[in-house]
Formats: sequence, C-alpha cells, structure tokens
Amino acid sequence: MILSGNEIYKQVKLGNIKIDPFELNNINPNSYNYRLGEDYKIANGNLNKANNSRSKKIPKNGLLLEPGKVVLSTTHEIIGSEKFVTSLIGRSSVGRLGLFLQISADLGQLGDGHKWTLELTCVQPIKIYPMMKIGQVSFWVTFGNRNLYTGFYTGFNSPACCMDSMLNGNE
Amino acid sequence: MILTGNEIKRQVELGKIQIDPFKINQISPNSYDFRLGSKLKYYTNEILDPKIKQPVEEVEIPKTGYVLKPGRIYLGHTHETMGSDFFVPIIRGRSSTARLGLFVHITADMIDIGSHNQWTLQLYAVQAMKIYPYTLIGQVTFWCVIGDIDLYKGKYQGSRGPYESQIYKDFEKGV
Repeated sequence: MILSGNEIYKQVKLGNIKIDPFELNNINPNSYNYRLGEDYKIANGNLNKANNSRSKKIPKNGLLLEPGKVVLSTTHEIIGSEKFVTSLIGRSSVGRLGLFLQISADLGQLGDGHKWTLELTCVQPIKIYPMMKIGQVSFWVTFGNRNLYTGFYTGFNSPACCMDSMLNGNE
Repeated sequence: MILTGNEIKRQVELGKIQIDPFKINQISPNSYDFRLGSKLKYYTNEILDPKIKQPVEEVEIPKTGYVLKPGRIYLGHTHETMGSDFFVPIIRGRSSTARLGLFVHITADMIDIGSHNQWTLQLYAVQAMKIYPYTLIGQVTFWCVIGDIDLYKGKYQGSRGPYESQIYKDFEKGV
C-alpha cells in the first residue's frame, strides 16, 4: 500500500518519515515534491576506478545537460524512513521535457535518511537549476520483518558514484 | 497492494476506476493495456530550458505510421481517459514495446490520485521506431492507498491529447 499525501505528513510529524527541510506545499495527493540539490558530478563510466572528482556547484543561471552523459546530483532534502519503503521518481513536468532523474533504480532501501543521489540524463539538451522542484518521493507499507540498510551508500549527502565492488570483480 | 485484472474490472463497474473506453480483452492478470492516442507533440527548440515556455508542433499520427527519431522527446497520449479517486495508477510500457527500445514514460510513472485525463506519454525511442495510432502501447496498474486522500487539482487536470510541460509556471511563481 502507498501512503497518501496526508498520511506522509502525519508520518513526518510522528517521526516515522524524515524529510528535512519539509514544506507543506510540496505535498501531492500521493507523494512529496523534492528539490534538486546544489552539487553535481559527472559520472566517469569506469566501474574499476572510483570517481574521486570533487563535486561542483550547479550555477544559479543553470547547468546545460547534454545527451549521452550522466550527471550525478542529489536531492536538496534529507529523506528516509526506517518504517516505509521510499521510491524516488521525477515529476511529470520534467519527464515531459525528456529529463531522467534516475536510471532504472527508483527503489530506496529502509534505513536512515540522507540526500539521495540522482542520476540525471536527458534526451535533448536541457538546463537544470539548483533548488528547482524536480522530483517526487513516495512511501510504501512493507510486509515482513525489517532489516535496515547498512550498505556502502549509507549516510552520503553528496553525489555518490558507483562503489559496488561486486560489479568490477574485486569482491 | 496491487489490484488484479479481475479487481480492476470490478472497480471499473463500481465506478471507482475510470477507463474510457473500456475493453474486457485489454485486461491482463494484474494490469490493463492502454492504447496510443492519435496525436503527437514535439518541441521545436533543440535546447530545452524549463524556465521558458517551450513552443511545440502538433502532428496527427498517420494510419501508415510515424517514425520516432532517437535524440528527440515526443509527447503522446493515452487513447483512453483514465483516473481514480480511490487507487493510485502507475503506468509503464508493455514489454513488447520495450523490447523494441521504446520508452513510454520518462521518470514519471506514478499518476496522482484524482487525475482524470488522457494521460500524456513521454515517448523516447532508443533506435528509430515506427509507431501507429491506437496500438496497445502500455499498461496501467492500480494500487491501494493508506491515509486520508486529497484529490489532484493540478495544472494538467482535464488534459485531452498530449500536454507539454508547464514547469515554467513554477519559476514564474518563484517556487
């Protein structure tokens, strides 16, 4: 079952969902609109080499994304829940402009909150602005005993590149 | 919880789900197959700036088909007018269209509860691909909700045909 907007608000107040900062007017009928953060990194496309490049600031007058590249950024908000499963997607207003906010992986894990990494890629060149309302997050009721996420992306509040050693055979 | 195909049919009959026109043979075990409507829009600018209203061109998809080119976003629409005040709809392509490299939506698969529209599809072809009007192109699922519901009253309500992004209004309002 998915939480209605009113239920998301109720669970934020109860402390079962973390959305920080939280703005009442970002509630939708069954999701919450999140903002784009201010930092970005360009994905380096190499699973064998960690991307240690430093984050750059998205300029106030916009960053032009080009097709064929993946730019990593984050949500402005710290978002998470130990009780409900988080799912992050884009708003239809950006989808209608051909902007992907995540590539294939829209499902979050139960656990502590952090600024979620967004995988931005576009069909046509498109400008993005820091702090724009860019996506929406929904929350789902679980079934079964819960183990919380303690994986390698725990606690990341800046754009986090691929750190999965399973993928490059270094396990 | 997700509704089975039989439950979708029952809720359509009860008036709690709107699918119009509704055809029994488009029901799947846990979803409903929808058709591509006949109109398409694309942006005339190459570079898209969300702060500025983007001009569009509208075309009618000919019966002989229309070729979607990679590198361009096209807005299509569902042939059916759909919505629910009780369940959350989620749309996706059929695996048959995905196997040809066609995206039916981009990033936004979830519909607000109370949004009753011909839903806009964000069509993106990985390889050049021909599309035809009224093709069974995608599927919609319906999900149970917990909590009090406020229905959608947003800027896309009442859409018929493809509806281009209205995000520039956010910037005008300074939100």
